[in-house]
Amino acid sequence: MNLKDCHNFSDFKKLAKKKLPSPIFHYIDGGADDEITLNRNTSSFNDVDLVPNVLRGVEDVDLSTTIFGKKIDLPFYCASTALQRLFHYDGERAVGKAAQKFNTMFGVSALSTVSVEEIASLIDTPKMFQFYFHKDRGLNDAVLERVKAAKFDVMALTVDTITGGNRERDLRTGFTSPPKLTLSSLFSFASKPMWGINYLTKGKFELPHLQDHVSEGTNIATSIGDYFSTMLDQSMNWKDAEKLCSQWGGHFALKGIMSVEDAKRAVDIGCSGIMVSNHGGRQLDGSRSPFDQLAAIVDAVGDKMDVICEGGIQRGTHILKALSIGAKACSGGRLYLYALAGAGQAGVERALSQYRAEIERDMKLMGCNKISDLNRNNLRYRKI
Amino acid sequence: MKLKDCHNFEDFRKLAKKKLPSPIFHYIDGGADDEVTLNRNTSSFNDYDLVPSVLNDVSNIDMSTTVLGEKIDFPLFPAATAMHRLYHHEGERASAKAAEKMGTIFGTSTMGTVSIEEIAKVNKGPKLFQLYIHKDRGLTDNLLERCKKAGFSSMCLTVDTVVAGNRERDRRTGFTTPPKLTLGSLLSFALHPGWTINNLIHEKFKLANIVHMTQKGTSIDKSVIDYINEQFDPAMNWKDAEYCVKKWNGPFALKGVMSVEDAKKAIDIGCTAIMISNHGGRQLDGSRAPFDQLAEIVDAVGDKIEVILDGGVRRGTHVLKALCIGAKACSFGKGYLFALAAGGQKGVEKILENMKTEINRDMKLMGCKNLGELNRSKLIHRK
Repeated sequence: MNLKDCHNFSDFKKLAKKKLPSPIFHYIDGGADDEITLNRNTSSFNDVDLVPNVLRGVEDVDLSTTIFGKKIDLPFYCASTALQRLFHYDGERAVGKAAQKFNTMFGVSALSTVSVEEIASLIDTPKMFQFYFHKDRGLNDAVLERVKAAKFDVMALTVDTITGGNRERDLRTGFTSPPKLTLSSLFSFASKPMWGINYLTKGKFELPHLQDHVSEGTNIATSIGDYFSTMLDQSMNWKDAEKLCSQWGGHFALKGIMSVEDAKRAVDIGCSGIMVSNHGGRQLDGSRSPFDQLAAIVDAVGDKMDVICEGGIQRGTHILKALSIGAKACSGGRLYLYALAGAGQAGVERALSQYRAEIERDMKLMGCNKISDLNRNNLRYRKI
Repeated sequence: MKLKDCHNFEDFRKLAKKKLPSPIFHYIDGGADDEVTLNRNTSSFNDYDLVPSVLNDVSNIDMSTTVLGEKIDFPLFPAATAMHRLYHHEGERASAKAAEKMGTIFGTSTMGTVSIEEIAKVNKGPKLFQLYIHKDRGLTDNLLERCKKAGFSSMCLTVDTVVAGNRERDRRTGFTTPPKLTLGSLLSFALHPGWTINNLIHEKFKLANIVHMTQKGTSIDKSVIDYINEQFDPAMNWKDAEYCVKKWNGPFALKGVMSVEDAKKAIDIGCTAIMISNHGGRQLDGSRAPFDQLAEIVDAVGDKIEVILDGGVRRGTHVLKALCIGAKACSFGKGYLFALAAGGQKGVEKILENMKTEINRDMKLMGCKNLGELNRSKLIHRK
């Protein structure tokens, strides 16, 4: 399997599996517990049918939308995800440049492996920083100031990782950051020599936003679940979020909102958006999928803030369905991470271009010229 | 595969399968008829979605609850199940010690293989005895009196076993108690020498609570199906249950109630609790899953009697979902029996520890500080 053979999500996943040592592949691919929520995140889209309109003159289609005050050319963006240089040695540089090429938003994680300063110097498309609320308040303040100085457009506080999810694939493979060779994973690293050579020769693995404050993740191998459980502040509450929101002073989002009540409180504390998300099914298995919950949240707060649907998206039609319900845009992690692992920047560009082509085609087949043409009349729920 | 590699129900199941002669493994693992109800017991949880709340300061979580008059550290306990010494030579001693160590109730069965009196010696925590009414009524009185004397904290009467379910796996494997070597099972016993040696060198297998009253199941090879059909009293009725409640005069549960009407009758005869259960899918196949039936029962009687969900529980989130609907606690059988087979007391401790850790983690991810914060607003039925 080569990049040119990758036509969809599952192709990219196969390519990534071929390229990555198995602990790293399964870190991306896996979810919590029995992965019921992980699977539901995607299958939820199949319970709703698109109903096309015809004869609408669809030679020109405008895919642009405005989120957090920024116009982007696509109704989806690259969600912030951690540790990208483990997946490809270019890491966030590759994804950021690809996002810039398609003029969409690029999300950078607190656990990113390239610094906000470097990303800001590389790209000028809208940028979002994803914040983890650490016990170490000095770390929190320092990170916020750096992101502000780097002129990021949006700050997103992740609220669904108060403790690490039970990612059993990681328990089995022994995945840690930085990667640790164990007897059982040795074969898997040895069987992907290119990954190993690149990891060792293309610059030291670092977590530039955290390593001045904590050793875990850079000098001390830790699983991401353990990192959340030990480093993040479990006492985090709405007051902390409100304080952070005003400290940032710009567009502020909460990532990981699932209840209507919490969505309303996000409006109250001054957020300009929320990501309806269950962290890609990696935290609480058995919890609701974003698409299943989207309508209730849009009905409650859709006119007051940007509602982003995040999780399970593998097709252009999934994005169309979420937009029809009232999401302002969609975002995803795995939808570009497999491509990153498979072929770096070229991979991410190919994935983004395919999603763009799918959305454009699907808009035409739906008889829609612009995103705002999509609405709930285009959808039918199959079961009552 | 080793005990330290067991992260979930399926892992313990695999390890138990490796350790046990196949008739014994399938006796635990199997259900009635086509096992439709057995499977539904677990899959029913997947039709409901948890909806977490965030930013709620979850640095301190209280998982404790009070059930059958006893405060326990977390809302799950090992249900009373039969014949632990078939699964591990330490038998009920191992599970009883593990339950006490983890701060929860231990349930032991009329069909236990370690006596009421000995269990009371090794477990000082809350203990539940599960009663089968035999045709010989003297046996019932004897058991109630012995449990009282031994300091058991609660009694439960199983009401879903008036006749044996059609456990076809047992018919095929020739499962009997005590285990009988047949031509068909010989190979399977020979392939699990560890189990076979332990079974032979430790004390003789016996149904320790009833050994003095009956020879069946103790020295004569009997299938459990035949034992139930010969010994249990199918004429058992509400009056008999009421008699036991009165005689016991302490926290009392009916195990195996599935209809709202019966749940109401349980209140009338003075029960403290009911266990919504279909006997782990081992009795009437095609019958309703406890979790599917829970809301209806809680709505009818939840304010008057403790409702315990029993059946299909394999994950912390399953417990959370049952508590959201209104169950007071959950119990489980297969999970800890596989763990017992896999590693004796250490195995049972590990699965209880795993479940406790899961419930703790899941409470934090749900944004709930105590069990009282779990309610139906946090659960959506996906239709």
